[in-house]
Amino acid sequence: MPRPKILVVDDDSDLVRALRLRLRANNYEVTTASDGYAAIACAQREHPSLIILDLGLPVGDGFVVLDRLQNSDTLAGIPVIVLSARDPQTNEERALKAGATAFFQKPADNEELLNVIRASLGPGAAPPAAAAAWPS
Amino acid sequence: MHHPTTNVLLIEDNLGDADLVRLRLVEGKFPVNVNCVNRLSDGLEFLARETPSVVLLDLNLPDSHGAETFRRVIDRAPNVPVVVLSGQDDEVLAMKAVHHGVQDYLIKGDISSRQLERAIRYAVERQALLHSLAITQKQQLEFKNRFLSHVSHELRTPLTCIHQFVTLLVDGLAGPLSPDQSDHLKTVLKSVNQLHAMIRDLLEATRAESGKMRIEPRCVALGELVQQTIAMMRPTASAKKIGLEIGVDQRLPLVHADPDRVLEVLINLVDNAIKFTATEGSVMVQASLVDADPGYVYISVSDTGRGIGPEAKALIFERLYQDPDSVDNNRSGLGLGLFICKEIVRLHEGRIWVTSELGHGSTFTFTLPTYSLAKLLAPVITYQDRLRQSFVLVKVELTPLSVPPRGNWKETWQQCLEILRRCVYLDKDLVLPPMETLGASETFFVVASTDMPRSGTMTTRVREQLERVVDLKAKCTLSITTVPVEVPVPIADASLAEQVQSVAACVTQLILTCREREQLAIASDNKLSS
Repeated sequence: MPRPKILVVDDDSDLVRALRLRLRANNYEVTTASDGYAAIACAQREHPSLIILDLGLPVGDGFVVLDRLQNSDTLAGIPVIVLSARDPQTNEERALKAGATAFFQKPADNEELLNVIRASLGPGAAPPAAAAAWPS
Repeated sequence: MHHPTTNVLLIEDNLGDADLVRLRLVEGKFPVNVNCVNRLSDGLEFLARETPSVVLLDLNLPDSHGAETFRRVIDRAPNVPVVVLSGQDDEVLAMKAVHHGVQDYLIKGDISSRQLERAIRYAVERQALLHSLAITQKQQLEFKNRFLSHVSHELRTPLTCIHQFVTLLVDGLAGPLSPDQSDHLKTVLKSVNQLHAMIRDLLEATRAESGKMRIEPRCVALGELVQQTIAMMRPTASAKKIGLEIGVDQRLPLVHADPDRVLEVLINLVDNAIKFTATEGSVMVQASLVDADPGYVYISVSDTGRGIGPEAKALIFERLYQDPDSVDNNRSGLGLGLFICKEIVRLHEGRIWVTSELGHGSTFTFTLPTYSLAKLLAPVITYQDRLRQSFVLVKVELTPLSVPPRGNWKETWQQCLEILRRCVYLDKDLVLPPMETLGASETFFVVASTDMPRSGTMTTRVREQLERVVDLKAKCTLSITTVPVEVPVPIADASLAEQVQSVAACVTQLILTCREREQLAIASDNKLSS
């Protein structure tokens, strides 16, 4: 079974290098982009299973990317985890409203980040095939 | 040189004096426009509509006397210079006036028109200077706060890089490490975590000071938060062989507070207590009600540490205050912890203070408002015979299908809470504010005064309305359970208030028991899946 592919979007090349090492060690394939437009192009080309997205990107910031993803038929279902140095108090709600699954502030706890990645990719995250069981 | 017209508001009830002043003003070199009123109330009304260049104020008016007169004028128009024109040469009153912000205090009959004109001009100048000083101060404060936010944001990037690569090494992802290498890197990691905590504190303190800290209060069972704190601090305490004890009243009412923030305060206080206590000491966390102050819960953290001297006690809640000789010198952080605690408690309308004596340990106490179920139930229970009706507790629980939830979970459950509120009758039912989250579910309780058939229809109505929420089924499971509230039979001459209290107490106990059961279920679920 092919390993899930994660797209990491961040202009901090050192951080991207460290994340790539860690994600590979956890059995994920990694592809990267360092600005918003490259991120969308990469997502359309490679169909990642999950996206880790920084907000402070040089061209087309994280919110532009979230917007484009939500408005795309093919890309809207991909879970997006925002990983940003920005203050959650002013950014988390906006990011979640824009379609992000979770918001982590840098530096993130590695364990927690991996747990959320696993949960977002695992069976519980997929939309249910049949309607959920409502108590009668 | 052209001078703009000075608009003068003269508040003077003696017509003769008013005419004299008017004459003096008109005699002056520069153009003036005089508006004269005879009562303070007319003057205040004028100031509500227009802004004169200066107010000339007699203190003894038909509707006001002495200091009260200038106080009310300054309150109404704090940026308009005020010059008092008094009939009495009262030094004491004059000083009082100047301290309160009056620009000058002149004696009627003792001033020439040149002097009056100069007094007015200088008063206007001084007021303008004060005003621009105030604006500069405000700008500097804003700049400082923006700067600190910016700095704490920028520091995160290199900190993240250090954290990432050190953890890569420590986790063996770049090859095996010798025990020494692992040890050294773990030491680095400790400092990285300290830096992280300092940056977080800096941002929090800045936010608190610029009034941007927000709290989201919920109904919280303090016992749970105290347990969480103790569990988190146990490793640190054990390392120093310090005992951690809990003393929480069984019948503690719910509090109205932001659970994450209260946890922050508790952790801060317990961490400090451990820091300032030598090995083999003990730290105790207690929560209880106090007879003299029934609207609040009192929470205290006491330690058997070195205690705090009187000079330190006065400064300890200020920013950046650090005790010069804490027991562990290398863990002092930025000294912002207690300042942040003070702000959090203040936002909750509570108080925080310390009692301590050098050599005899310290006790930090803070208060949080109780969630007064009795007060909120009172409108629902207004007649004696209503109490013969039964009450039910309805629990509505929303559990997201996936963790983390898809889409905007907060928006979804807030929508459901709104719908729930609209489903109930204001004079029969009470919807409590959201409880602290347990696991990933959002839980809402409704206290319904009812007999069983009616509660059945209410439950059906609630379910129908909630199921209509778009996409709800795709996002979460909905569970509605109803439990009767067993109120003890009221004593013959118990007052209505006492009976309301009794219902409130029963409901609180039911809620707490229900949550205890859920917590145990979650804990055992976690054990099974790990």
